[in-house]
Amino acid sequence: MRILVVEDEPKVASFIRRALEEESYAVDVCADGAGGLDWAQTVNYDLIVLDLMLPGLPGVEVLKRARAAGVKTPVMILTARSEVDQRVKGLDAGADDYLTKPFAIEELLARARALLRRSGGAPSGILQVDDVVLNPVTREVTCGEQRLEFTTKEYALLEYLMRNAGRVLTRSMIAEHVWDLDFDTFTNVIDVYISYLRNKIDKGRERSLIQTIRGSGYMMRSDG
Amino acid sequence: MTNTSIRVRLTLWYGSALALILLLFAVALYLVMSRALREQVDASLDEAAAVAIRTLGEHRFGPFLIFEDLSQEFPELALLDKFFQIFGPAGQVTIQSSNIQSREIPLSQTAFRASLEGKSTFESAQFAKGVSLRLLSVPIRQDEQLVNILRVGTSLRPSDRMLRRLLVGLYIASPVALLVSLMGGWFLAGRALRPVHAITQAARRITAGDWSQRILTPQSNDEIGQLASTFNDMIGRLEVSFKQIRQFSADASHELRTPLTITKGETELALRRPRQAEDYRVVLESNLEEIDRMSRIVDELLFLSRADLGEIKLKMLPVQLDDLFREIHQQAAVLGKDRSIQTVMTKVEPVVVEGDDLRLRELLLNLVDNAVKYSQTGQTVELALVVVGSQAKIIVQDYGIGIASESHDRVFDRFYRTDEARAHAAKGTGLGLAICKWIVEVHHGSIELQSTVQGGSCFTVFLPLSSVKV
Repeated sequence: MRILVVEDEPKVASFIRRALEEESYAVDVCADGAGGLDWAQTVNYDLIVLDLMLPGLPGVEVLKRARAAGVKTPVMILTARSEVDQRVKGLDAGADDYLTKPFAIEELLARARALLRRSGGAPSGILQVDDVVLNPVTREVTCGEQRLEFTTKEYALLEYLMRNAGRVLTRSMIAEHVWDLDFDTFTNVIDVYISYLRNKIDKGRERSLIQTIRGSGYMMRSDG
Repeated sequence: MTNTSIRVRLTLWYGSALALILLLFAVALYLVMSRALREQVDASLDEAAAVAIRTLGEHRFGPFLIFEDLSQEFPELALLDKFFQIFGPAGQVTIQSSNIQSREIPLSQTAFRASLEGKSTFESAQFAKGVSLRLLSVPIRQDEQLVNILRVGTSLRPSDRMLRRLLVGLYIASPVALLVSLMGGWFLAGRALRPVHAITQAARRITAGDWSQRILTPQSNDEIGQLASTFNDMIGRLEVSFKQIRQFSADASHELRTPLTITKGETELALRRPRQAEDYRVVLESNLEEIDRMSRIVDELLFLSRADLGEIKLKMLPVQLDDLFREIHQQAAVLGKDRSIQTVMTKVEPVVVEGDDLRLRELLLNLVDNAVKYSQTGQTVELALVVVGSQAKIIVQDYGIGIASESHDRVFDRFYRTDEARAHAAKGTGLGLAICKWIVEVHHGSIELQSTVQGGSCFTVFLPLSSVKV
C-alpha cells in the first residue's frame, strides 16, 4: 500500500510518514500543493493524506484538480478543528474522510485502514487466501493454526498480493504500491522478497500460493 | 413601581394630574355657579321687595287683612313668582300671600333685630319637607318709626335643580374626559417610546451575535434620535473590536495548533512501542523546540494584549542609540554564526532619542533577528544609523527571501506571515513585526518597508531626536 502525504509543516509530515511506515506502508511526502498534484497524477497511490493549509496551491484546489484529472485515489484531508467551512469544502471537493489537527496517531492509522479497505478487499478488513489469514488491524498472519512472523516489507508485499488475489501484478505495480519513490526498479529486490514469502507460506504445499506469470509479474491464486 | 413600564407610568402620571385638574375645575365651577345663582335670586328678591314697597307705599300701608283684596288692588303683586308677608311692628304676621297661606314662616330674631335698626336682611331657611327658601326682610319706616316689616321669599328649587344638573353633568363628563385623555396619553406615550422599543429589540438581537443590527433612526435630532444614533455608533465600535478579537483568537489558536499537533503526534508515535534511548531523545528535543515556540507565542500575545489595554509602562529617558546599536550588532553576529551570515554596520552616527531603553532594544533585536532569519546562508545583513533632520534613521537591510509588494501593508498585522516565510526553515511567531510597529508608534516614530521577492527586505525606522543631550 502506497500513500502520498501532502503537508507543508516538515515535522508534522515527518511523524505521519514514520507512523505509516511502521505500519509497513510505502510513503511519499510532498511539501507543497502543486507538487502534490503532480505526484497524485503520476503515481497510482492507494491513499492520499492532504493538508488543506498549503502554501501556493491550497489543498481544496489540489483536490478539485486531481479529481477533475480522474484521480480516484481515496483522500483524507487534515484541517483545523475550528474551520468547519474548510472541512465541508474539502469533502465537497471529493475528499473521502477528514481528520482535525491535533489528531491522535492511532486514529490516523485506523482511518487510513478503513479507507484502504473500502477501496478493495473484504469489508471486515480480514484477508484470506486458502488457509492464510491476514488481519490488517493487528497485522497478524496465520497459516492454519500456526502464526507467521514477517518483516515490514514482507508484510506489505503479502498484504498487497492478498488484496489483489486473482489479479496479475506487474513488477512496476508492486514497486509502486509497496515501495516508495526511492526504490530502484532495476534490481531484483521484488523477486527476492517473493521468495522470502514463499518460504514462509508455502510450507507443505504442493503448488505455491504465489504464481509466477512469465514475462509480466506475479499473481496470488484466489482458488487456494 | 419599578416593574411597571414607562408607558404605564407616564399615562398614570398624566391621568392623575388631569384628574386633579378636573376635580378642581368642577369644584370651582360649582361654587361660582351656585354663587351666581344665589346673587341672581337675591337680586330678584330685592327687585320684588322694591316693587312691593313702592306699591304699598302709594297706599300708605293701609290695613289690608286679606291677601285677595290686596292682589285685587295691586294686580302686579300677584304676577310676582314670590310670596310675601307683612309683619306688624311687633313681628306678628298681618298679611301673607296666598301661595304660603297655610304655612307658618315666622320672622327670625336676627331679621327682627336688624329691622329695628332699619336694615334689610337676607336669610336662607329650610322649610318643612326639605324645601329651601331664600328670604328678604325689609323694614318699612315712617317718621323714624318701624311700621311694618315686609318679607319677600322665593323657593330655591329652580336654582337647586340647575346646580344638581350641573353636578350630574360634571359627574358624567369628568370620567369620560379622563378616560379619553388616558387613552390619548397611552397612545402618545407609546408613540414617543417606539424608538426606545426599537433600541431594545436591536440590542436583543445583537446579544444573539448578529452585530450587523442597527436601529432605524428617524432623521430627528431630538433626545430619542440622539440616543439611537449614539447607540448605533456604539454598536459599530463594538462590532469592529469584536471582529478583531475573534480574528485574533482564531489566529492565536491556529498558530498554537501546529506545535500542538507536532508534540502530540511525535509523542504518541514514540509511545506506540519500545524504542532506543536515542529515539526518545530526538522526540524530546523536538518537543522542547515546539514548547519554546508555544511559550514565545503566548508571551508575545500577552505583551500585545497588555499593550492594547495600555498596561505597559514605558520609562521614557534619553537613550544613546548608537551604543545600543553596537550591542545589537554583536548579538546579531552570534545569531548568524551557524549559517555564516555576516552583519555589517555601514554607518553609525551618535544619536540620542527619548525612549524606553528596553523596548528600543527589543525593536532593534526583532528587526535584526528577522533579517538574519530570512537571509540565505552566507549572505550579509547591513545596519546603519544616521541623523536626518530632526530624526534618527535606522536601516536594517537583508538580501534574503524578501516580501512581495502586495504583502507590504500586511506584514505588520498580527499573525500575518507570507507563504515564503511559512515555508522557510526558521519559524517566526508572526507577531514580531506587530510588536515592532507598536514600539515605534509609542515612540512617536514611523516604520517603512522596501522589499522585492528574492531581492531582500529593507526596514527603515524613524525616531524623533531627543531635545536633551547626554
